[in-house]
Amino acid sequence: MLHVNNLTAAIGGKQILNGLDLDVGAGEVHAIMGPNGSGKSTFAHALAGRDGYEVTGTVTLDGVDLLDMEPEARAAAGVFLGFQYPVEIPGVNNMYFLRTAVNSVRRARGETEVGARDFLKVAKEAMDLVEMKQDFLDRAVNAGFSGGEKKRNEILQMALMQPRLAILDETDSGLDIDALRVIAGGVNALRGPERSMIVITHYQRLLDYIKPDFVHVLVDGRIVESGDHTLALHLEDHGYASFVNHDLDDAPERPLTGVQS
Amino acid sequence: MTAAPAAVDPTVAGRTVALDWVEANGYPTKRHDAWRYAPHQQLTALSFGPPVTLASSVPDLEAQIPVLDGPRIVVVNGVVDVELSSMTGPAGLHLSSLLDARREQPERISSHFDRGDSQITDAYMALNLAFGGDGAVVLIDDDVVLDVPIHIVDIEVPDETRNASCTGVVIELGARSSATVVETRIGVGAEFGGSNIRTTITLGNAASLEHVLLQDVPPSHVHLSSIDVHQAADSRFLARSFNLGASYGRAAYDVDLAGPGAHVDLSGLFFGFGDQILDQQINVVHSAENCTSRQSFRGVLDDESTGIFNGGIEVRPGADGTDAEQSNQNLILSDRAEINTQPRLEILADEVACKHGATVGQLDDTAMYYMRSRGIPATEARRLLINGFADQVVDEVGIESVQAWITSRLGHDDV
Repeated sequence: MLHVNNLTAAIGGKQILNGLDLDVGAGEVHAIMGPNGSGKSTFAHALAGRDGYEVTGTVTLDGVDLLDMEPEARAAAGVFLGFQYPVEIPGVNNMYFLRTAVNSVRRARGETEVGARDFLKVAKEAMDLVEMKQDFLDRAVNAGFSGGEKKRNEILQMALMQPRLAILDETDSGLDIDALRVIAGGVNALRGPERSMIVITHYQRLLDYIKPDFVHVLVDGRIVESGDHTLALHLEDHGYASFVNHDLDDAPERPLTGVQS
Repeated sequence: MTAAPAAVDPTVAGRTVALDWVEANGYPTKRHDAWRYAPHQQLTALSFGPPVTLASSVPDLEAQIPVLDGPRIVVVNGVVDVELSSMTGPAGLHLSSLLDARREQPERISSHFDRGDSQITDAYMALNLAFGGDGAVVLIDDDVVLDVPIHIVDIEVPDETRNASCTGVVIELGARSSATVVETRIGVGAEFGGSNIRTTITLGNAASLEHVLLQDVPPSHVHLSSIDVHQAADSRFLARSFNLGASYGRAAYDVDLAGPGAHVDLSGLFFGFGDQILDQQINVVHSAENCTSRQSFRGVLDDESTGIFNGGIEVRPGADGTDAEQSNQNLILSDRAEINTQPRLEILADEVACKHGATVGQLDDTAMYYMRSRGIPATEARRLLINGFADQVVDEVGIESVQAWITSRLGHDDV
């Protein structure tokens, strides 16, 4: 479904991704782990089409080349990025934003748009999934939301947009255990044979809740090791040091809570 | 500009005084702080004079203004159009033309023009006093609480004989009364023209007024609004200014917090395209103790448009316990657009809390990317962000149909 071949990305002349290869089949969940600065977020944004990246290589989704597309065209093609830092947009109503997003994608695909009342019905179901109260819809997009509320809003958007490929960038960062459980529950409910996911995380903790089919280790902009979920457990015990041939001066602190089994 | 202390009565004798003032003092120029960015050549090309009643009707009026549930006074070229107006209102509300009010209760009306702040400060005010003989009068008795808005519509229709008009508006709220007044200013035609409207507002003790100004004259017109407000103790004045139309659109507020405990909240939006110049001149004077004032204006400037926010807070000696705030936030959409923002604070009292701030920014790239990653095309994302910025002022308006009119005027019906 998704084929990433020899992907490189540079920002302002600084090379971040150095020939990344990845194949994700339909319905698969792939976790990408790696130390700070290894290029995890850059990979996510290179897939979503952020401006300012010099990108080479090929990325195809269902046979369609993504790299020349604008971000909105990628969304229409089925790409969804759950942001590590969801953006606050004061003055733009969340409900209106969500409906505009869904209808923009539908329009781009030549599908009929969803009216306000029908959309509200769908939105309510999706909100139950992430345990959001209705007043979230009346507020401005992410404005004044807590960290957990912002992440729930990301999963809500994913539920409404029904992407082919969901990329979740550090969705667990800044979450307490209860919020993590809700969010992982939402993500798991959205797993399906037609939907693939790339889950980017620093810690193994998230993978206790979202069981990946494959785990990849990203170091210096390249995948250096792949395996099943036991690879994540190995990383939890041994860190990234064995994959890195330089000092990990920016090694992350350990997770605050002991959730590993 | 030096103000000759001449209080003017709006009679023919008063007209002479006002015109003498112009003769003696001349027109404002770029050297006058309050008129620095005004297009003086255009302004002096306006042919002001005594009002001429025009027979011409106003085509499709309802399509150009918000339609409100309440009485309405329509002024065309400085003269009340009785046909288009409906001046019957609930008990305690007295609506009339300025001309009639002057005839029927000359003392009450002239008291509004004899106030201290009626001393002429510039030539355009003098011209308004000289030629703004007619207009709208809203008088509200003590303790009357109105639940329908009052709509004052001013329409400028330039023609060969005269391209500009003056209108006077008098709004007086008795003690503890409460009302909403919407003033809509529009114009007809692609010819050069202008309107010069002075609104005099007097609020009695604990009176409360929401005053909405919708300036949407054609781009071939210039428009001068001045709103002079006198507030007695514990009164409350909410101003919502939407400075949208005109090649030069000026909204000047002079608020005197004359009685202790008075509160004023001025907010506004100016939204410029093309080569529009949108000028906000704000002066709030704290003359009494324990008054609060808020100024919050937002500008959106595209193309080669220019925005001006010149916001003054003056705290007079003895106005202890003053609490004043001012903010001006601007969104610049083009590298040829310009904003001039200037706070002026003069504090001559003790125990004063005074805050001011201004920001100038562009569209947030990260927010654009975030929206586009959700499938929203770039043009739509840009529109959403701009509207989101502007809507925060629109949301302050208390009447839904006025909110809807503004959003549709700004090209978005998305609320």
